[in-house]
Amino acid sequence: MVKEVADIPEEQQIVPESPVKQILSFLGSMQLGIILLLLLSVITLFATFRPMQLAIEYVYNSWWFLGIMSFAGLNLFICTVERCRPLSMLALQPKKTMSAEAIKKMQINAAIKLTGEPLTKAEKAFKKAGLRTVVTATPEGAVLFGEKGKFGYFGSIVTHFSLLLILLAAAYGSLTGFEDTNGGYAGSNFFVPEGRFRVDVTDVRMVQEENPVIRPRVYTEMTITRDGQTIVQDTLSINYPIRFEGTTIYHTTFHYLPEITLKDTATGEAEASKFMMGNKINLDDQGTHIQLMEFFPNFSMGQDGRPFSLNYLPERPVAVGIIVRDGQREASVFLQLNEPEVVETAAGDVEVLLTGFDVASVYSISKNLGRPYLFIGSVLMTLGLYMSFFLFPSRFWAVYDEGKRTLFIGGRGYRNRIGTEQALEKIEEEIKKGRKSSDV
Amino acid sequence: MFDRPPGLIPVSPLGMQVENVLFMLSMIAYLLATIGYLVNLSGKKEWGPFASTLLKVAFLVHTAFIVTRTINVQRPPFVGHYEFGNLFIWATALVYIWSEWRLKDKYFAVGAFLTPLAMLYFAYLTVIPSIIPAVYISRSHRPLPPVLQSDWLTIHVITSVFGYAGFTLAFAAALMWFLKEKVDSRSLLGKALPQVRLLDEYMYRAAAFGFLFQTVMIISGAIWADISWGRYWGWDPKEMWSLITWFVFAVYLHARFTRGWTGMRTVALVSVGWFAMLFTWVGVAWLLSGIHSFG
Ligand code: HEM
Repeated sequence: MVKEVADIPEEQQIVPESPVKQILSFLGSMQLGIILLLLLSVITLFATFRPMQLAIEYVYNSWWFLGIMSFAGLNLFICTVERCRPLSMLALQPKKTMSAEAIKKMQINAAIKLTGEPLTKAEKAFKKAGLRTVVTATPEGAVLFGEKGKFGYFGSIVTHFSLLLILLAAAYGSLTGFEDTNGGYAGSNFFVPEGRFRVDVTDVRMVQEENPVIRPRVYTEMTITRDGQTIVQDTLSINYPIRFEGTTIYHTTFHYLPEITLKDTATGEAEASKFMMGNKINLDDQGTHIQLMEFFPNFSMGQDGRPFSLNYLPERPVAVGIIVRDGQREASVFLQLNEPEVVETAAGDVEVLLTGFDVASVYSISKNLGRPYLFIGSVLMTLGLYMSFFLFPSRFWAVYDEGKRTLFIGGRGYRNRIGTEQALEKIEEEIKKGRKSSDV
Repeated sequence: MFDRPPGLIPVSPLGMQVENVLFMLSMIAYLLATIGYLVNLSGKKEWGPFASTLLKVAFLVHTAFIVTRTINVQRPPFVGHYEFGNLFIWATALVYIWSEWRLKDKYFAVGAFLTPLAMLYFAYLTVIPSIIPAVYISRSHRPLPPVLQSDWLTIHVITSVFGYAGFTLAFAAALMWFLKEKVDSRSLLGKALPQVRLLDEYMYRAAAFGFLFQTVMIISGAIWADISWGRYWGWDPKEMWSLITWFVFAVYLHARFTRGWTGMRTVALVSVGWFAMLFTWVGVAWLLSGIHSFG
């Protein structure tokens, strides 16, 4: 593992000895990680060209896809654990001394002719560049060491840990939770067996946006109870779900529920009921029915003869259906508000009227106990990436060569060479500024 | 249900005109900056600062366009390909200008590769739809439906344009690296291109910048989806393609650490990542279906 990391010269190389160690080192290797990530990308790429439901069923939820994901998780886990010690050593136990020879050989280095307390001047310049400094006495002379951005070394660990947390939270959430959909209109109720609670929809209100072409907002007032005890009572609408016990009830969409009244022309008997789109309105006991197809709150007809709704304002509500007789589609009916259509049936003529309409809300109900951990994981991941890519660890060493009257500075940047070079240029400038003033 | 009257926000003729003129002007200014950077690359060094100034002017005009559009649509302009595309170009220019300012050496050579990419994105918004009839870029002023009225959407879009900007910059560096390897180092172009080790660093930093923003983009999208659709991940093609892009850049960031994966392999990975990003934006919309139809 360690040998892959090009820019870590300070570490000891750990040579795996036993087969167990060799296997662990393979399972935790970055090469394996790269291969697994590439594999996941390629599989996903092909899957996106399949219809979504098929891709979910046969790829994303398949045992082998989840298996590869888990394997990547294991790989990441082993890798992260293995990297903890070397990275902490690298970050927390820097080599504070360095020989002049080693400094001169560094790729980022400078040599400055200087007299009169050179290390003090250098230390001042180091500090100005934001470095924390220490001076260590060695038999060859004093060595100035300065560093910054120490936390940047831990960026990869925090990121990897957060990713593991997210994977585990997603697995935990899907193993302990459930997903369900249901719907309701004012006065209706339903029971959610997985959560053992009952939902009573007390009101469903539609509020039109200022622009009538925008989908209106629909507000549902509901009471959620278990064994007669109220758990919550609240209003939900789009983007404002109700949450309790790790369970969330969302508004996903709404439907119009036309109220259709059937009137027996012979007896004058009338009965009103609410229907959903796709429902059958039975007209007799011989199977004659109207299949409801569509509902338009503000009906209009295009030049091509296709019906459409001008907007969401309920100015000209029309329900469209198809009369089906003997299993055959006979004709379309356009039911306008309180304008009866008379349909011949085995039981005599029946008057069909649209007498009003209501709104039904559709809810998606899900329980996900992993949600808080997913959130923590997301925050940690952002932090980890910030630490990785925006906190640049850099280290500098300086020694003074009395004979040559020269200050030698060497620097090493972790992930940021240009920045380290620029920092050294600044340090150099600062020291040279000091040199001029003391020379004067 | 509503295939007719689009229900647009009424915009005054003046507002419309200002918006369109600013768009054209900014595109022309970006084009001039592109020419400037290319002349600089051909060895006329004095053109570098001039091109850089032109780019800043283009950026300011473009900013004025975005402000006008914001006023005209009465909301942040981030819905649909036209608005998103403009924000994306704007963010790309901003990140590049910032990098030019940060790297005191002034990497004008990068500009010669970045600005043509910006012009490519402009082409997608303007001429490509007239060449490929299946692609239609609407400029109409649409109001936001309730599901899109969320602060998370704002975070989602802002982070995505900066993610895409970082990846575009990384791809520009990848192109340069590729050319640097292929052309004679004594040729005019060979001399104009920065050293490979600088390109490597530039590409890495740009990709890392893009990666951080792409991550926050995915996270904010997931949080928003959780609030409005009841699930944080829907396996929708657009989500999956942003994940593919993320995976590819993750592979690149790791590959850079691994001996044997450096050099042209990293150039290839960044290029694949850029294509994946472009496909997430453009390809998914026209070739695959899903719920992310708004851009
Ligand atoms: C699947 C298996 C993976 C393995 C085995 C793996 C392994 C590694 C290793 C060994 C390092 C170098 C650590 C160091 O010395 O600092 C690293 C760095 C990193 N990894 Fe991973 N990784 C994996 C997946 C991921 C993923 C999916 C992400 C996405 C967020 C990620 C994010 C990072 C970051 C941000 C760094 C620091 C990169 C840099 O400094 O340029 N890793 N990874």
